[in-house]
Amino acid sequence: MRLRSTLGYTAAGLTVLAALLTPFVLMGTFAKGVAALGLHVDEMYTGGPKLRTVEKGTYAIAIHRTVYPHMLQTEKPFVQLDWSPVSALPAHVSDDVDIDGDGQPDVRVSFAVPADRKASLRVDVEPLNGRYEAMRNAGKERYSRLIVRVDDAILVRVPLRRP
Amino acid sequence: MATEVCAPRLVRPERRSIARSLLLTLPILLWSLLMFFHPGSSAEWESRIAAAITAVFMVALFFMMMRTGTTYRWRRCFLVSLGVLFPVGFIHNLFVMRGSMGIPVEEMIAGRTPFCFMPIPTLILPAAFTRTIAFPGSIVPAGSAASHGIAAMVGMWLALTLVMGKGWCSYACFFGGIEEGVAAVPKRAKIRKLDGRWRYGPWAVLLAMVLLSFALFEPAYCAWLCPFKAVTEYISARNVLGLVQNVIFILLFAGLVIVLPYLTKKRTQCSYFCPFGAFQSIFNKISVFEIRIDKTRCKSCAVCQNACPNLSLSKESIARGETLLSCMKCGACVDACPQQAAVWHIKGTDVAVKPERARLLFLYGAWAMAVMFGGSIIAQGLATIFHFLA
Repeated sequence: MRLRSTLGYTAAGLTVLAALLTPFVLMGTFAKGVAALGLHVDEMYTGGPKLRTVEKGTYAIAIHRTVYPHMLQTEKPFVQLDWSPVSALPAHVSDDVDIDGDGQPDVRVSFAVPADRKASLRVDVEPLNGRYEAMRNAGKERYSRLIVRVDDAILVRVPLRRP
Repeated sequence: MATEVCAPRLVRPERRSIARSLLLTLPILLWSLLMFFHPGSSAEWESRIAAAITAVFMVALFFMMMRTGTTYRWRRCFLVSLGVLFPVGFIHNLFVMRGSMGIPVEEMIAGRTPFCFMPIPTLILPAAFTRTIAFPGSIVPAGSAASHGIAAMVGMWLALTLVMGKGWCSYACFFGGIEEGVAAVPKRAKIRKLDGRWRYGPWAVLLAMVLLSFALFEPAYCAWLCPFKAVTEYISARNVLGLVQNVIFILLFAGLVIVLPYLTKKRTQCSYFCPFGAFQSIFNKISVFEIRIDKTRCKSCAVCQNACPNLSLSKESIARGETLLSCMKCGACVDACPQQAAVWHIKGTDVAVKPERARLLFLYGAWAMAVMFGGSIIAQGLATIFHFLA
């Protein structure tokens, strides 16, 4: 019992020590440990990693890797395309985009770029092959089907047809 | 299983002398100075005054704990202040950053969703099986926001949990402070009989949310059930689904955080619903501090059971001399017990032998964390108020 009691008080003392170390050492160490776990935020939110960039004169289109939903996630697979910088975009954008890099355009994307950065965006996507879904006057209905402005880019997510 | 509820009867142990109480408060005074006043800080005058008031407030509460030998009512002053002032600072920040309490999808895609501790348990399975965080935030945000990322919050939660176990709910949870404040308003409970089976509610919600979040890969609790979305950050209602989500948040907040705490004088959201609270209960197993019932003194009067704001005592547990796993170490039972049979305890030591030593050791750790975490939130809320008054 004496040993258990000694261990108990030792643990209690160490707990107080941990409290004192928390703002200076522990919190940062734990945070670094979590950051070093190699986790990543779900691509349904981030849009997945960029695969390549297509230069269009004053602006560029970044093409992301296709994002597939997990388990019961109620979204369709999609590809995210980023137009940036917004300041260099014409008032109306209409681009044919080769998503898979085979030299043939896959979708025709058209949207207006309002001067007011808070104005809602609408996009039309015309699929040029059977892999992608059409979008007509789409806003931001779903993560897999939207057009939004994030910082200095306009992001369009084009859903894939399910096989 | 029914529990008779009545107001806690505070029996004050012998008072310490002012000099001895001051001496015992000295470490917390030094800690508060260290936490609130950084040499060379270029903070605005509102922030400096807010920090000074908060430091005095936290030190004064600790002094009263030392002087009176009671814990609950002083800790409650702190937690209610935290609960009231957290939304003030938080909502102000949201309006400064984005002009609205609603979070638009653009912010989620940009990884700028503020991350609180609530979804931590629901992130574990997706992270373990797919190395994916099913939350629209950033693990380590760029620039000055780095301290607000998922890694920073999880790091802070781990450190505080190591120190306090489920004491988190009593010394750190700003959400709990809101309902504790509401529960403190009425003199007597209007609803006095509470079915003890409801205490399994948080475990059921935890299980459902963990599985649902894994299946849907979304923070299901944040998206559908968090009552505190009503006073922090709600989902921008861009369609009917969003509208339904917001109606659920408001109804849950009104029911579990306002109406039921007022009627029962209990923290009903914590006791019946909170999945994070259930998850946090597990860490009571590794915490060295606990509350025990000295069976040689206990007269089975159930005053402690009625005083517990969290349904963490039952007749069976009292007979065993223990609290239930969900005990959040608020000290209500200890302060209420007329026999002084409910005592602070360090695991491994004899029950009721030097309980004040156990209380002091726990309080030094817990209050240091309260000053660091909750104190900074209180100071931010006060600074926001001063900013608007100026």
